[in-house]
Amino acid sequence: MSISTARLTAATFAGRVAGAASRLARQGTGASIRGKVMLKVDPGALGKLLAGKRIAVVSGTNGKTTTTHFLAAAVRASLGSHADRLVHNADGANLHHGLASALSGHPEADIAILESDERVVGDVIRLGRPEVLVLLNFSRDQLDRHHEIKSLGRSWRTALAGAGPSGPVVVANADEPLVVWAALAAKQVIWVDTSTTWTQDSSLCPECDATLIRIQPDAASGLVGDWYCSGCSLARPKGDYRVESGTIVDRSQQVWDPQLSVPGVFNVSNAACALAAAELLGVDPRTALRGMRTVTSPAGRFATAQFGTTTARLLLAKNPAGWAEALPLAQTQTVILAIDSAAADGRDVSWLWDVDYERLAGRKVIATGRRAQDLAVRLRYAEVDYRCIPDLAAALADHSEPVDVIATYTPFQRLRRMGRV
Amino acid sequence: MNGRTPGRRVEVVLIYQSLLGLYGDRGNATVLIKRLAWRGYDPVLTVVEPGNPLPDTGHVYLLGGGEDAAQITAVRALRADGGLYRAVERGAAVLAVCAGYQIVGNTFTVGYQDEVISGLGLLDVTTTRGPVRAVGEIISRWNGRDGDDQWLTGFENHGGYTRLGPRAEPLATVEIGIGNCNDGTEGAVSGTVIGTYPHGPVLARNPALADHLLELALGHELEPLAHHEIKKLRRQRLARVRRSYARRR
Repeated sequence: MSISTARLTAATFAGRVAGAASRLARQGTGASIRGKVMLKVDPGALGKLLAGKRIAVVSGTNGKTTTTHFLAAAVRASLGSHADRLVHNADGANLHHGLASALSGHPEADIAILESDERVVGDVIRLGRPEVLVLLNFSRDQLDRHHEIKSLGRSWRTALAGAGPSGPVVVANADEPLVVWAALAAKQVIWVDTSTTWTQDSSLCPECDATLIRIQPDAASGLVGDWYCSGCSLARPKGDYRVESGTIVDRSQQVWDPQLSVPGVFNVSNAACALAAAELLGVDPRTALRGMRTVTSPAGRFATAQFGTTTARLLLAKNPAGWAEALPLAQTQTVILAIDSAAADGRDVSWLWDVDYERLAGRKVIATGRRAQDLAVRLRYAEVDYRCIPDLAAALADHSEPVDVIATYTPFQRLRRMGRV
Repeated sequence: MNGRTPGRRVEVVLIYQSLLGLYGDRGNATVLIKRLAWRGYDPVLTVVEPGNPLPDTGHVYLLGGGEDAAQITAVRALRADGGLYRAVERGAAVLAVCAGYQIVGNTFTVGYQDEVISGLGLLDVTTTRGPVRAVGEIISRWNGRDGDDQWLTGFENHGGYTRLGPRAEPLATVEIGIGNCNDGTEGAVSGTVIGTYPHGPVLARNPALADHLLELALGHELEPLAHHEIKKLRRQRLARVRRSYARRR
């Protein structure tokens, strides 16, 4: 055993002990602490764990957990009885230590399907030489920590340029200018026309700062969306894959009805990206979709859970773009909205005013979570009927009809624990 | 003008949301429109994007936060448009928040090369890159106010530090946070133009500041509105921020 391997073995062991202790202390799954301890003992652990594997990585602001679940399910479907060859950070722990923890849990796996935080993408490209990288979208999120989303795009672009011919093939959302700009540095890009409708986070060209011109898609008239820069040649690339009226059209113009088990048009877009990535990994579309249809509640998203006598469906929304997707899904007469401002949620709740809560008028809203009062003021100005019940358990108690719950990250994780999903 | 007649048309102009709308800045427009409607006025919201002229009929003009490149594009478009200068001359009220505050000043800098960009010169303030980024909750005391209204509460997130010239008065005095440049002052006022760092929907947490802007624009006082949830939010924010600040010290 080389010294390097010995250190990794020691790190893995130390991580397991810490993870088990954390689980016993009922502090979550222990995955995060396991990874942290590992990287403390062996700072090179992540690189060693990634070495020698076939790797696909998914990143972006919204949808990365679900998309990674789609891709993992697609690949698993193609592996049949050899599904244990695959490792996947299914719990959504996507920083260095989360990746290290997931990988060390399945040392025998030779295929890794990994969700990566936007800030970690560059390191994963450098350390792991992934085969495929899926870049979904960029939108404002936790601005108290990431001051400029453009700098994240720049870090992707730099890492891809640095990797050169040994870098990944990128599957990129053609409707997101910053994603396109970053992806153009890759050796090869498969573009996915996702019919994204959220455009509020990109008004200037990432290449030259001139104003971007946008043509909004219009489903009624069949007009497809488009964008191009008024100052340089950056423009929306033609999609190799595209999402069209809820179907996915692949590279050979074959139309697939995805029939997913998770709701939302945005998830069809996520599935289109996963399908493109699966094909790059050698999975045929039919098998890939068969796998993707088994995805029902990735890391608790869209899960239905029981809270005493209350049946609730859990939706996660972390930023205005995510809320624009989640709000139309919430269909129940009573809707529970859980807001917090812990570090993982972003300490600044200004974004509440970029969300169209006005659309909830006529329904009963329960505002909960540690920043419920901020939401209460927002709902007052939206002229939406609400009750403010800051305590999460109390807000969920005793609903005779099923309720939809939309939560920011921290209360969402608490709800998963409370509802055991 | 029949200033107090119910149903009077009052126009709020939200400037360049695509460039200066990073932190829920549209919330300030929502707050002003609703506070007018609840008092029986006929409020009109006009959202202007670059390339379209600013209306000359506005009563309150709002500028919000944005990234460096957006700031430069916005200041150029506003200078070429000229409408904001005419509005201020007419006595319209202007609320310029965060990046918006910087661009209504004399100059500001962008990027790590500290490129100096000319502002609109509507406030006698100058902004340069500060030693550390100011990120966090801020509480300040509105100069010349008393009672509960004097406390201004918000969240600041800015890398630029702003110094006031002789023709601008500070809006407030910092209790917790950085404010203009960690010199104890926050924001600036000159006539009907107000600049401030607490960003995004600052008027949601500070209804007295919202009504002050409307009063500046309308030229008369407004009936108070009592909303228990806003009072409660203010009490909660002030208490929690003071408590966590005391713990940190």
